Amino acid sequence: MHRTPFVLAILAAAACSPAAERPAITTAVIAVGESAQLPVPVLLSSSGRSADAEVADLMFLRLAALGPTHETSGDRGFEPQLASGWTRRDSVTLAFDLDSRARWHDGQPVTARDVVFTFGLARDTMFSATLSGLLHRITDVSAEGDHRVVVRFAQPYAEQLYDAAFHVQPLPAHLLQGQSLEQLLRSDFVRSPVGNGPYRWVRSDAGKVIELAADPAFFLGTPGIGRVLIRTADDGDARLNMLLAGEADALMAVVPPLANVERVNATGRLSLVPVPSTTLGYLLFNQRDPTASSRPHPILSDVRVRRALVLALDRRAITHAVLGPYGSVPYGPVSSVLWISRISPAAAAPDTAEARRLLAAAGWRDSDGDGIADRGGRPLRLSITVPAQSTTRKAMAALVQEQLRQAGVQIDLAVIDGKIQGERRKAGQFDIDFSGATQDPTPAGLTQSWTCHGGSNVAHFCDAVVDSLITLAIVSPTPPNDLWTAALDRLEADAPAAFMYTPVTVFGVSNRFAHVDIRPESPWVVLWRWSVKTGRDSARSR
Amino acid sequence: MSRWLLARGLHAVSTFILVVCLLFFLMRAVPGDPLSRLSEDRPMAPREIAALRARYGLDQPVGRQFAAFVGGALRGDFGTSIEYRRPVTSLVVDRIPATLLLGGTVLVLNFTLGLWLGVRQAVRKGSRTDRALEAASLSGYSVPSFWLGLLLAWLFAIHWRLLPPGGMHDLLLDPAAPAATRAWDLLRHLALPALTLSLVSIAATMRYQRVAMIEALRFPFVQTARAKGITEQRTVWRHAWPNALFPVITLFGLWLPVLVTGSVFVEQVFAWPGLGSLAAGAVSARDYPVLMGTSLLVSGMVIIGGLVADVLYAALDPRIRHA
Repeated sequence: MHRTPFVLAILAAAACSPAAERPAITTAVIAVGESAQLPVPVLLSSSGRSADAEVADLMFLRLAALGPTHETSGDRGFEPQLASGWTRRDSVTLAFDLDSRARWHDGQPVTARDVVFTFGLARDTMFSATLSGLLHRITDVSAEGDHRVVVRFAQPYAEQLYDAAFHVQPLPAHLLQGQSLEQLLRSDFVRSPVGNGPYRWVRSDAGKVIELAADPAFFLGTPGIGRVLIRTADDGDARLNMLLAGEADALMAVVPPLANVERVNATGRLSLVPVPSTTLGYLLFNQRDPTASSRPHPILSDVRVRRALVLALDRRAITHAVLGPYGSVPYGPVSSVLWISRISPAAAAPDTAEARRLLAAAGWRDSDGDGIADRGGRPLRLSITVPAQSTTRKAMAALVQEQLRQAGVQIDLAVIDGKIQGERRKAGQFDIDFSGATQDPTPAGLTQSWTCHGGSNVAHFCDAVVDSLITLAIVSPTPPNDLWTAALDRLEADAPAAFMYTPVTVFGVSNRFAHVDIRPESPWVVLWRWSVKTGRDSARSR
Repeated sequence: MSRWLLARGLHAVSTFILVVCLLFFLMRAVPGDPLSRLSEDRPMAPREIAALRARYGLDQPVGRQFAAFVGGALRGDFGTSIEYRRPVTSLVVDRIPATLLLGGTVLVLNFTLGLWLGVRQAVRKGSRTDRALEAASLSGYSVPSFWLGLLLAWLFAIHWRLLPPGGMHDLLLDPAAPAATRAWDLLRHLALPALTLSLVSIAATMRYQRVAMIEALRFPFVQTARAKGITEQRTVWRHAWPNALFPVITLFGLWLPVLVTGSVFVEQVFAWPGLGSLAAGAVSARDYPVLMGTSLLVSGMVIIGGLVADVLYAALDPRIRHA
């Protein structure tokens, strides 16, 4: 019996794609690691997932969108969206004129009532304590007719437009008004949201795929891609395989590992799109004793030791070894997307001699010749907790351990589950924590971790000068470049952490798309402006 | 027999109850707050976290949580997933078809090909075929399934582009396409995960079956059958093989849970939307309700698998049920 033709026939058949497909609609398949469960503005703040926000951004517009400069201070960095324009009535009042062409996906016009209703939800601590906190400088939102919204602020400051436009995406009052939070969470609207953006909801197959379709009547222009399929695959290799095999058109975070760059380039069908990141990685120094938080840390409460640790590290070499060209060393807690990163100086270069001198000044010398500094018979020994799920931080931690050993510091690496690391961090049970943070586009977010009473200040760093500089920068009515620079200088001098890296997020995107624009604060927010290159519409419309 | 069966059934039920208690309290003892994942992407106010904790009953004492869980479970309600915000029962029901399809395919391939090849090896013990199959089964048995999965995905999906690298359906396939087209699409997606799991499991079954069959072929009644002139085929399959099934029945009992769990790694590598990947996600998210739902299903299948194996043993060997 001749089996070869039989096997070949099977393989040939397997290679054939199914014949019956949907009518040609240009489709983009985006592979993601986490599925959106609650892609509804305001409500999504109680889910805390960026996946929800990314899908919501395809369906819901803001009054004004943050432009490519990400300048949150002043008005220059914003582009009109639901509001066709805005005017300043005085230093604490902004009036937005809604675009009369804007429509909900059920055909109803978007009105000032919708905006006022949504701000009402967002400022209600019962609906969203986090969001209401972010909007605490807004004192009143009111409607003047159907198409004008007036927002009043408690004081003049430079980020009024950012606060009014970025945090809140209006919801349809005609569908939601009068419902309690519990009713809203159980409503049909949550399962099938009605938005006003370029894409409308089609379906969700829990944890597998979300389908959105372009709204042909979208008032800012017809989206160039007719359909978006957001496909979930938990495993990073599975997502990459989908991209390489042509089953997905776009994938976020192709790097690390760096080897993926070569794999993507080898296909000839994909492009790498580097995008500034909202992420920051840093070695957080605990300034309180992990065993008794009322006491100062026996080693790290000394600023000389903290500075020595920073200077002993060649952070550029470490970042380059792990991220290649797709990462840089920040100056202070500033990810590459924050506009203040552009006014910051370069991070300090390594200086092992100065590090040793600072350690010696703090009493840490290698008295027994074992290569590890000691004081009073105790070695200079610290532990670093590292999340097992982070490839980048695990790889960097090994290099940090080696570089600090050469400076006379013994480091024990504790690679643990990210959840457990998070709990230990919150409880202050660490010496050094290899933390990762995703920042909002505004530098005002620095208050969370780097001011005395910041909600995320788990390391108990406290410097009244930093606090007042940050506060002054936030409430400054004009772009406060000098204040931010001074705050960052002070943070660098205090060394509450070694700010290790801010990555560039590398997206893999099918090169059949034109006008590819990916935004760091929400990658697919301007996907509607993408289009398919002429002649690259395959038979499958993929 | 019925008394034996009743006793065995009661033993299974008591084991299941013990497992439920252990699972529930052990999960709560493991470090890791299920709500911390919700607050890791975006900062959440303590008040919001407290409200979520109350919503999912996590603010209650563990004993009260357990009572609520048992009460709900008896009504078929395993709670609401923290991660998916959907009832666990509906999530599990949603994932079961994919898992049964993958697990069933693997089980059928395993216990047809594996047994057949094992018997072939035993009959031709020491031959070139036996040695080649022995080497193949040893390799298959040694290779980690997730690594084999990645290799097969690279070969078939990326290098040769013959099969899809993951998922269960072509997302661009028209739902109104003919049934044959949809079935063919499903088969193409099933091929790689099923092949990965089968290659590993068949190797194990082959090795068990080979050893058992070699033993069985040494029994005197087999020599007698041959001496009576019965064909070799009939001697092997009618006389020797049934006596070589005992270790395979044990293996079957162990493999039965795979029918519902699939393989966590293989489901993840191929983005197969089954219970395995649901359970894996629930572990990392500490999604207690989903973890309990999937764990109980797996535990139930392990207990049922053991029970089925015992019953089969008893059916095949009267000494066991009279012991």
